[in-house]
Amino acid sequence: MHSKLIVVIFTTVLIMAGLLIAIVLADYVPNGAGFPHPEFNGMQAGGDGAARLEHIGDLAFTFQCLLLLLIVCLATLGVAEQRRSAELWAYMGGTLLFSLFVWYQMYSGHQAFLETGITNYFMGFPVATAWQVYGTWLGGIPLIILYTVGFRKFIFTKEDERKYEQLLADIAARSE
Amino acid sequence: MEAYRQEIIVGAVVIYMIFCVITGLWAMRRTKNSSDFFIAGRGLGPIVVSLALFSSTLSGFGFVGGPGLVYSIGVSSFWMIVISSTGYALGFFLVAKRIRMIADVRNCISLPDVVAARYNSEAVRFLIAVTIVLGVMGYLATQILAMAVVMQAILSGIEMFANIGLITCVVISSAVLIFYCVTGGIIASVYTDVVQGAIMMIANIGLITCVVISSAVLIFYCVTGGIIASVYTDVVQGAIMMIAGTLILLTAMSVFDGGMQEATSIILADDGEAMMPFGAAGIMASLGWFFVFGLGLAGQPHLVTKMMMNKKISDNRSILPMSLFGYVMAALLWVSIGVIMRAAVIDGVISPLSLPDDAASVFLSVFTNPLLAGIVFAGLFAAIMSTSDAFLNIGTAAIIHDIPKAIRGHSIKNELFWARVVTVILAIVAASFALYSHFQDATLVAILGAFGWGTFAASIFPVLAIGLNWKGATALGAISAIVSALLINFIVQLAGIVLPYGILGGLIAFVVSLILFIGVSLVTKKPELDDDMEAVLNI
Repeated sequence: MHSKLIVVIFTTVLIMAGLLIAIVLADYVPNGAGFPHPEFNGMQAGGDGAARLEHIGDLAFTFQCLLLLLIVCLATLGVAEQRRSAELWAYMGGTLLFSLFVWYQMYSGHQAFLETGITNYFMGFPVATAWQVYGTWLGGIPLIILYTVGFRKFIFTKEDERKYEQLLADIAARSE
Repeated sequence: MEAYRQEIIVGAVVIYMIFCVITGLWAMRRTKNSSDFFIAGRGLGPIVVSLALFSSTLSGFGFVGGPGLVYSIGVSSFWMIVISSTGYALGFFLVAKRIRMIADVRNCISLPDVVAARYNSEAVRFLIAVTIVLGVMGYLATQILAMAVVMQAILSGIEMFANIGLITCVVISSAVLIFYCVTGGIIASVYTDVVQGAIMMIANIGLITCVVISSAVLIFYCVTGGIIASVYTDVVQGAIMMIAGTLILLTAMSVFDGGMQEATSIILADDGEAMMPFGAAGIMASLGWFFVFGLGLAGQPHLVTKMMMNKKISDNRSILPMSLFGYVMAALLWVSIGVIMRAAVIDGVISPLSLPDDAASVFLSVFTNPLLAGIVFAGLFAAIMSTSDAFLNIGTAAIIHDIPKAIRGHSIKNELFWARVVTVILAIVAASFALYSHFQDATLVAILGAFGWGTFAASIFPVLAIGLNWKGATALGAISAIVSALLINFIVQLAGIVLPYGILGGLIAFVVSLILFIGVSLVTKKPELDDDMEAVLNI
């Protein structure tokens, strides 16, 4: 019997593959991945942002939502099965919601800029980019906190350590 | 001082190279067997491992390529950085504990050793070893070439060396690299990583924070009874670098009166997309990098091998945040120099660059104090040296330890001796290849270079990161994943296939590899694990 988590991971990756195929098959947009800057050699420009997202915006948005789900599922896979308590699932669920919130703020902020052409700034960057720079980076911090603070509860408990030392002792005894 | 700019820069680099040679000699005395040579005898402390881990992640790419990418495609490249917190976390959740356990239980000295133990399969060992050798050749050639090109640029500014050739620079670079790697192996590498890490991190950190951290490190060492001489060396070096780091940040921020906000608004006015979250390269290229760099970190052999080197598994809880902190501090250089240089060119403050990769060196030449430039250039050499050494190390292990073991059932005799011999040969071959490629066919290095991060990520991540946490993973699933990742990356690169919307070939390879790994494992017979592997996967 395989764990349900690996099936969720597998299904998520399959849907992401489907989205990639849909994006590849979507209507062609010239310069969808940028074009050489008309004035400065070595620089690329993005051009019309709305046109670049017209056919693939929703697909790409969903792709990233699934990627964030995949990340949380993979982190949970890294916790031994017997330690995947309700508390852990709740924490991981909160982490996912936080990441999705940051992603939504970034994406909608970009959409707002495309519609109006104006933006506010936060700590040196346009607001949407600030969500990307600061928010996305912060999105991984709950996982760091869980690993560091919850190390002895979820990752490598005292009991795990004792079992591991026993395993090493058994191996050493057998080789003598 | 400005009149002696080149001499000061060369002096800093020479001092660093002398440091490398001394470190090599010192480490040679500590290297008694192949375990010391490849994985430092699994006896390193958390600070050393964390600094080595983050500085290997960033390498010369962070100093040269990173600012160049921001200059070229704007915010798109930020996605490689902002994923760092998640990428490091995944690496530790999925790999750090169990790779260290398996290394202990089976006395593994390389990544192929670990996967061979996990899957009880010599075919998986062989394929991972071949993947490593292919990837290493590309990485090494590009690193040696980069080192020689930077050296030529620095030396040609001095009258005496005005006509120095690239071949001479390749020979000098390779000679120092070979000496340093052969004498000390991984022990030399990780301790140099520590210095490099310190240079990269402190070069981007505020004065007050640096004082706090240095004091904390000092207290930590004193309280725990660390080596007093080492502490004082660290303090002196730290003090010098703190001042340098503060000046670098202040310099970047002072190019425009309005600081970073003025720089970003100049870029935004020129091309809105370049300064918006998906940059000039677009949403799919950005999300592709997020995927490949985030998940892929746990599939990089030179990084995960370092997770086998710490003394205690419980050290991981402190190694993770320390590595991340160092990376974030160092990555500020990537972002700030890149943004300032793009804005400065658009605003006419400086002339357009001939190549995007010149962004960091031009910034250092135009905007910084010569002494500061010298220290950062030494950091650049440090980054290239340590990355090259890490790749030479894992490439050598694959050739003398893993491939013979996969084919003949045992590795060659006198591994330490042959490790040194093969290190020399590998470096010479990579240097020759770099030169040949530079003068004859510049696409060759790029082709093998594509077997870098993306290929390692796609072929190694599923096999290692998922395989260490899912008992249902099978050898056939692993073989399917590795072969598909290699084939897709090779075909996309060799055929020059350009996917719509900037979708990366590496992303396609990664997704296909994940699907095949899990899918094939699900439909093949669940493997019988050895008792010790079963026990490790249960913990």
